[in-house]
Amino acid sequence: MIQLFNVSKTYGGVTPALIDITFSIKKGEFIFLTGPSGAGKTTLLKILFGAEVFDRGQVLVHGMNIGKIPERRLYSLRRKIGVVFQDYKLLARKSVFENVAFAQEVIGADRKRIRYKTWEALKNVGLTHKKDFFPPQLSGGEQQRVAIARALVNSPRVILADEPTGNLDPEISLEILKLFERTKQKGVTIIFATHNQEMIRSRNHRVVVLNRGMLVSQ
Amino acid sequence: MLNTIQTTFSNIKSNKQTFLVSIATITVAFSILGLFLVIFVNLNTFLMTWSKQVQLIVYLEDKITGDQKQGLEKLISINSDVESMTFVSKEAAWQGFKNTFSGNSEVIEDLEFNPLPSSYSLKFKPADDRFLRIRQFADLLSKRPGVESLEYGERWLGAFEKFMVFIRIFLLAVGSLLAIGLTLIISNTIKLSYYSRQDEIELMLLIGATPRYVKIPFLIEGLLQGLTGGIAALALIKAIQLYIRYQFQGSLESIARGIEFQYIPQSMILTVLATSVFIGWLGSFISIRQFLHVERK
Repeated sequence: MIQLFNVSKTYGGVTPALIDITFSIKKGEFIFLTGPSGAGKTTLLKILFGAEVFDRGQVLVHGMNIGKIPERRLYSLRRKIGVVFQDYKLLARKSVFENVAFAQEVIGADRKRIRYKTWEALKNVGLTHKKDFFPPQLSGGEQQRVAIARALVNSPRVILADEPTGNLDPEISLEILKLFERTKQKGVTIIFATHNQEMIRSRNHRVVVLNRGMLVSQ
Repeated sequence: MLNTIQTTFSNIKSNKQTFLVSIATITVAFSILGLFLVIFVNLNTFLMTWSKQVQLIVYLEDKITGDQKQGLEKLISINSDVESMTFVSKEAAWQGFKNTFSGNSEVIEDLEFNPLPSSYSLKFKPADDRFLRIRQFADLLSKRPGVESLEYGERWLGAFEKFMVFIRIFLLAVGSLLAIGLTLIISNTIKLSYYSRQDEIELMLLIGATPRYVKIPFLIEGLLQGLTGGIAALALIKAIQLYIRYQFQGSLESIARGIEFQYIPQSMILTVLATSVFIGWLGSFISIRQFLHVERK
């Protein structure tokens, strides 16, 4: 499903971000990606959806060799992946409904499908009652749920979540984690990057640990 | 397609101010270019009308033979640049002279002979190099036997020619510089438009939009900016033209002798619009190409 072979990446040719990373993730698996700040978690996630290039190694996602995908074809990879950003990346000028629908619009879905899928995604995260609100009118937890709905709306095979609970209190964080676990039940592969050790200990998912760009354990 | 148009208009709607500022910039720049065109067109019409009055008068020797005259007429008639030829006999010229200077009849009556030569008065068809052709033909005629002298206002014709060449080069240079300036301005305004939506565009690409999906609304927006700016500039120039025409009609008539102050000709209107649309497209193409290239680090 997702395979990394001896992946290395440096910034500016000198600062190593990832060193010789090799591991694989099965279809429908939920893994925690953890490590201290600067360990390379975000870089690794960015490589997986083609937002960063790497210097050496091979990365396969759903049979697609990421290093070989030309820039103009990256969209075909990104349509298989839902990304949840730490800073949510919601568009303040668009309503909750429009923000989620946006992911459908950009892939050229028809209006009827957009309405149906957006409603379904909002229902999944329990936000149908706030569909006409704008992001600044929502709490942090609600904004993160909108971001998750947007990542889910295109029925991706993989979800990459970069510190999705980083700015949230423990109660809301647990709620968000449960949301990802429900998504996993539908056969979606989840990579959940976090440095919250308490959260990791509370669950029985596989843990991949990075430190200073190196794979410590998996 | 419908989705693209919707996206374009929704982009414009959410960035109304930048869009309007871009159009205003294009309007001002195209108005400058258009005003230069109006000045050129009117100057050209004025000079063309004025130059129509230019005639080549071929004065004949009194002793010219019938054969020489026939040869001269043949040479004139085969020249395709000549529009009309009028023969003025010695007698007709003398009569005309007497009529014009009837106040000095005593002096004229005292003359016992007709001092005026017979002549051909030639008018030429309009052409860009009309003056050059008149001069060349005059040179040819001056060498013919039986021709006494020629008159065609050669001094001011030369000055005229040089002035027209200067005006054309000046307009071409100004037009080219303005076109380059406009492309840069539009490219910059599209950049502003991009920056105001940078978060949205980056997100689009991250969640699976094709580069084309991102590009096309910007290109349409550039086209629309160019087209709207072009139309607004043409309307502004028309308003200025009408204002000048009605406000200064009297003064213009006395200078231009019945020539009306004109607008840009229809073919040039289309050229201005096509240029504005092209520049709008080019400006947005340059900016968006730059941005999409730096998308993957």
